[in-house]
Amino acid sequence: MIRVLAIAVLLLAGLPAAGLANEGGGLINLDKSIVIQAINFFLLLLILGKLLYKPLLTMMDNRTQAIRKSLEEAQAARADAQREREEHAAKLQAAYAEAQAIRATALREAAEEQRRLVEAARGEASRLVEAARNEMAQEVTRARQELRQGVADLAISVAERLIRKSLRDEDHRRIVQDAIARVDKVN
Amino acid sequence: MRAHEATAKRYAKALYELARESGDAEAIERELEQVAEVCESDPAVSGVLTRPWIKPADRRAVAAAVAQKLGARKLVEDFVGLVADRRRADHLREIVAAYQNLVDAGLGRVRAQVRGAVALTDEEKQQLSARLERALGKRILLEEQVDATLLGGFVAQIGSLILDGSLDGQLARMRQRLARG
Repeated sequence: MIRVLAIAVLLLAGLPAAGLANEGGGLINLDKSIVIQAINFFLLLLILGKLLYKPLLTMMDNRTQAIRKSLEEAQAARADAQREREEHAAKLQAAYAEAQAIRATALREAAEEQRRLVEAARGEASRLVEAARNEMAQEVTRARQELRQGVADLAISVAERLIRKSLRDEDHRRIVQDAIARVDKVN
Repeated sequence: MRAHEATAKRYAKALYELARESGDAEAIERELEQVAEVCESDPAVSGVLTRPWIKPADRRAVAAAVAQKLGARKLVEDFVGLVADRRRADHLREIVAAYQNLVDAGLGRVRAQVRGAVALTDEEKQQLSARLERALGKRILLEEQVDATLLGGFVAQIGSLILDGSLDGQLARMRQRLARG
């Protein structure tokens, strides 16, 4: 409002100069009508000030308030967003740390399980090898025994046939005498 | 079989008591063995003695006649008659075995069943008996049997003691040693 009045005063102050410059009948004539024009001007200024300037100021003020409010809300929202971002970052960090811990635990357990499985497999393999070795040794022993038995049976069978063919009466007597002589060894 | 043995032992014991009184236990043993041999080996005699429908008196008469024919003494004749009368003729083999045990025990001797590839000579029998008696400290009564399945030598069994002097035994031991390696 003060600025409007100042502009009006400047305009009025410039009027005489303008009148002097246009004495020969210009745009503005310095006569009594100037007063009326001034009054009209002030009336117009008053009406315009009431009808336009004040609503404009109010609107501008409202707009300013709205903008300030929006700015404040934006500020708050930004602060909230920042806080949430920090919270999310903290949560993300915690989740990452937890994930790292879980991963480390899982890796440790997997390594332990792997070690245990390898140990068990190694033990089982060792046991199987030992069992196979024992079985093989038993088979070899059994085969040797069967071979010895077969050789013994064959040898004795041949010996029996030869003895039966070759034994004469004097041989029988000698065998009986030998057997009688061995009776003393009973005790 | 166990019942047979128990019955046979009772009869054998009774006969042994009577025989010991008469002092002819060994002779009675031989006679009883001969009678039992005939009663078992002769189908006609064994048929009469074992058939249940033949009268006890007839069985007794047949058994006594067999004993008489073999020259057995009166005690043996009466004994086999009694056994036949009581329908125990099928126990005669067990009775003889039980009687032999009683006589052996009474005389302090043991029986040695000798199974040989060839028959032993008298000298060999004497030598074997003497050595067995020396080794066991008892009188030995040899019962010889020829077993053609033996290669050579003999196997003597005295109770639960077995003396293997046969080539078969030696070959069997050699077979074991060869098999053992």
